[in-house]
Amino acid sequence: MGIEAILIINKSGGLIYHRSFTSPQVDPSNPTITSTTKHTLNSNDLLILASTLHSVFAISSQITPKALQLSQSNINYTIPYHPYVGVANPQTTPKNNMPTKYGSFKGDDYFKEPFHNWNKSGLKQLSTDQFTMYIYQTMTGLKFVAISSSVLPSGTGSGENNNNAGANTVNINGSQYNMGSQIADNLLRKVYCVYSDYVMKDPFYSLEMPIKSDLFDDRVKSLIDHLL
Amino acid sequence: MIYSFWIFDRHCNCIFEREWTLANSNNTNAMGNGTINSKQNDEVGKLLYGMIFSLNSVTQKLSSSLSENQINNNIRSISTGKFRIHTMQTATGLWFILVTDFKQQNYSQVLQYIYSHIYVKYVVHNLLSPYDFALNPKEQRGQGIKRINNRHFINSLEAFLQPMLT
Repeated sequence: MGIEAILIINKSGGLIYHRSFTSPQVDPSNPTITSTTKHTLNSNDLLILASTLHSVFAISSQITPKALQLSQSNINYTIPYHPYVGVANPQTTPKNNMPTKYGSFKGDDYFKEPFHNWNKSGLKQLSTDQFTMYIYQTMTGLKFVAISSSVLPSGTGSGENNNNAGANTVNINGSQYNMGSQIADNLLRKVYCVYSDYVMKDPFYSLEMPIKSDLFDDRVKSLIDHLL
Repeated sequence: MIYSFWIFDRHCNCIFEREWTLANSNNTNAMGNGTINSKQNDEVGKLLYGMIFSLNSVTQKLSSSLSENQINNNIRSISTGKFRIHTMQTATGLWFILVTDFKQQNYSQVLQYIYSHIYVKYVVHNLLSPYDFALNPKEQRGQGIKRINNRHFINSLEAFLQPMLT
């Protein structure tokens, strides 16, 4: 799963951070919103993307199917913990390659327990022919968006297959598909941890404004670099 | 589990809608549970289509920046915390939309089958069925649309989707 871009959208729908990882060499002098490496998207398009995603959150809770509203089925919102997503595994990597630990990040992984998903009725994942977009929403309404280059395994069948054959192939892929979503949630929660350490604790950062922090950039970069 | 199935035409109007509400009940009547082309679902249909339309226009923009080859970048599925939406767009601008739970991830074959074996057979090949469901040719804002009320279409769609309801 290659992460192509990370976006952060504040609670009022404004884009406060955007970073693209598509090109191997990101200009280190200016890796913030203004740095568009090979993106042809201008900042206006990105703002439209952010506010569209934000508004879809409000809509998607309105279109909950009636069967779900009636049955009150208890869906499990706990996301399992996947070890060492975006962090070097101490068992497999030599000590000198470990990332330096600073901020409040003391252990070898940011968190080690399953966590609760606050994004109950909003958009979580968007799959298209070319990419998959994962969204992690925090309790305060901040949204972390990851654009991944992996796509759904395509149904190559000609549509002649009957139901049972379709169900069989899908079951195998189903676990893998949810796995991708879980790993993305784990990764984005770590970005949130980094955000709380390097953006929220920055005395010169004003709330809801674009993030321009080199430390935050470095930590996000190392998370993406260590992603398998 | 399948919650609902929608068809939108190229004028952005919902021309067919089927919602299953009590999939687990032992109702012997095939049409027993849920609604077909219900007026109550008009607003939901507009919201659903609006969401897919706006997300699709955004992803079209993103695709040109993420990869060089300018192939179509249509939405295939949208997941929320509670349900998942699967979409298929035909070359003529029809949207086939299926709202399901999380058990299965890929319904593209199912949608393809509904289009090629049920929609084409009972609606397109039907001489008495209109080829465009808008009442007047300059239709833009949902002033007048027909719905698919074809009995054979509804029955075979029901028979096809019945095994997937639970």
